[in-house]
Amino acid sequence: MRVTWELPDGSTITADVTDGSNLMEAAVAAGVPRVLGECGGNLACATCHVYVAEGWQAATGAPGEFEDAMLDATEAPRGPGSRLSCQIIASAALDGLLLRVPG
Amino acid sequence: MTVWTPSDDGFADITSHDAYLAGPPHNTFARMRRDDPCAWTDYPQGEGFWSITRQADILACNGKPDIFSSARGIRMEDQTYAEYLARRTFQETDAPDHMMTRIKVARAFSPGVVAGFEQAIRDLCDEILDEALAQDEFDATKAIARQLPMRMLGRILGLPEADLPWLVEKGDALIANTDPDFTAHVLDRMTTDEFRLMPFNSPAGAELYIYAKDLMAQKAAAGDTGGVLHMILQPAKDGSTITEEEFRNFFCLLVAAGNDTTRYSIAAGIQALCHQPELLAQMQSGSVWDTAPDEIIRWATPATYFRRTAAQDTELHGKTIRAGDKVIYWFASGNRDDAAFADPFRVDLSRKPNPHLSFGQGGPHICLGMWLARLEVRVLFQELSRRLAHIEPAGPQKFLRSNFVGGIKELPVRLKRT
Ligand code: HEM
Ligand code: FES
Repeated sequence: MRVTWELPDGSTITADVTDGSNLMEAAVAAGVPRVLGECGGNLACATCHVYVAEGWQAATGAPGEFEDAMLDATEAPRGPGSRLSCQIIASAALDGLLLRVPG
Repeated sequence: MTVWTPSDDGFADITSHDAYLAGPPHNTFARMRRDDPCAWTDYPQGEGFWSITRQADILACNGKPDIFSSARGIRMEDQTYAEYLARRTFQETDAPDHMMTRIKVARAFSPGVVAGFEQAIRDLCDEILDEALAQDEFDATKAIARQLPMRMLGRILGLPEADLPWLVEKGDALIANTDPDFTAHVLDRMTTDEFRLMPFNSPAGAELYIYAKDLMAQKAAAGDTGGVLHMILQPAKDGSTITEEEFRNFFCLLVAAGNDTTRYSIAAGIQALCHQPELLAQMQSGSVWDTAPDEIIRWATPATYFRRTAAQDTELHGKTIRAGDKVIYWFASGNRDDAAFADPFRVDLSRKPNPHLSFGQGGPHICLGMWLARLEVRVLFQELSRRLAHIEPAGPQKFLRSNFVGGIKELPVRLKRT
């Protein structure tokens, strides 16, 4: 699947991501700034916060219970579409996904 | 010039507290990384363990908490199940228990909330530095580094100012329990069992428990809704609240975890300023503050290691780690791994990326206080560098006697103010 990250300055980074991997790892591998993933995808740091673009929020689904709580511990404010990207798993259904990186 | 050069012969007993008296035995860690990165290490005081010394291996193992569990102890010392239960904090649990507590405290220490403390930290730094820099020659660990973390934690938690010196003392006794300068109960020299069931094996742990309990009662009675403690006492989204026992253990953990780690980060940064004179001008230029705190904290590596226990058999570098074996992540070694850091014994304030492990990166127990620690280190060095024309060593530095807490406990400096 393909994912595009839109940075706060409007520029974008696009990468092909293997199905089954999580989108924090994908962002780190693609060198997306500000997606750090400091806890290695263990839901403990909230440094993988992204905003899922309108139109994709149903496909990516709602955050789980622990993720929902950790979304109150992000650096940038929580907003519509806020997710911890280590909890979004790449799959064919998400091909073309657009994620906005917090400023 | 380099800041400090290791002096061990490459074959130090890395379990011995005395091996750290001249700083961590980095020649030994370098040999282990090169020749035997998953080394069985004998431990004269108990069961031996596997030593993981490469940065990449520590990161990879820490990301697999289902294999490498925190729920059987996180220190080198062995403990019985009864001791484990008596002393455990959420740091010594695995998912989902760990997350149940972590989500209750995460917001209070989140970057957004912590950013709001910047002015308070700056005011405190002003006070501390104005007092310390009234002299030209002093022990920087004592006069600067020791002061900030506990007084700041106290303010954030809303503790009475008058209690803070007492808390600094108890925090010292709790963690540095192998250095006779800090505690009367030197752990490896103790002959009786009387402290084994106390938090952190120390009567200071018991005193802190009582303090926390009283504090909680007072806050509740006074309807006090300020500060981080109130945030922690609020019901979580699912309606559950932190239990009294959880709260007391958490409070103890905060005092222990937030105190000397930040202190020794500040001390190591001042040590670096003394030995790499170009750093002062870099700080004064204002261009390095995004990256400098992490580099100072990498350089310091206040937590030399944390331990896990294998929950199942697993292989690493051709060795079979059996279920029940202790596994130690040597952060001090990983942070000097030249496969991850160019010129690791040089402090490079603009190092980026900086994949250091000082906060236990890569795992679910990643430091809860890392945003606060980074902020404190940044503001302290902003305020210090602004005031300094020159700083140099004024005598030999002394390291803590501990295989667990890495720190310069005495750092004589001489300085000129701007
Ligand atoms: C530079 C300063 C600091 C360093 C180097 C540091 C280091 C660490 C490390 C390595 C861990 C992970 C332990 C493991 O993997 O088992 C940790 C966890 C923790 N730290 Fe820090 N720490 C620092 C400052 C602080 C501060 C200021 C606080 C609180 C005010 C704090 C509170 C905690 C807590 C509560 C945990 C346990 C988290 C968990 O188990 O989920 N630390 N710290
Ligand atoms: S990587 Fe830490 S919460 Fe996602």
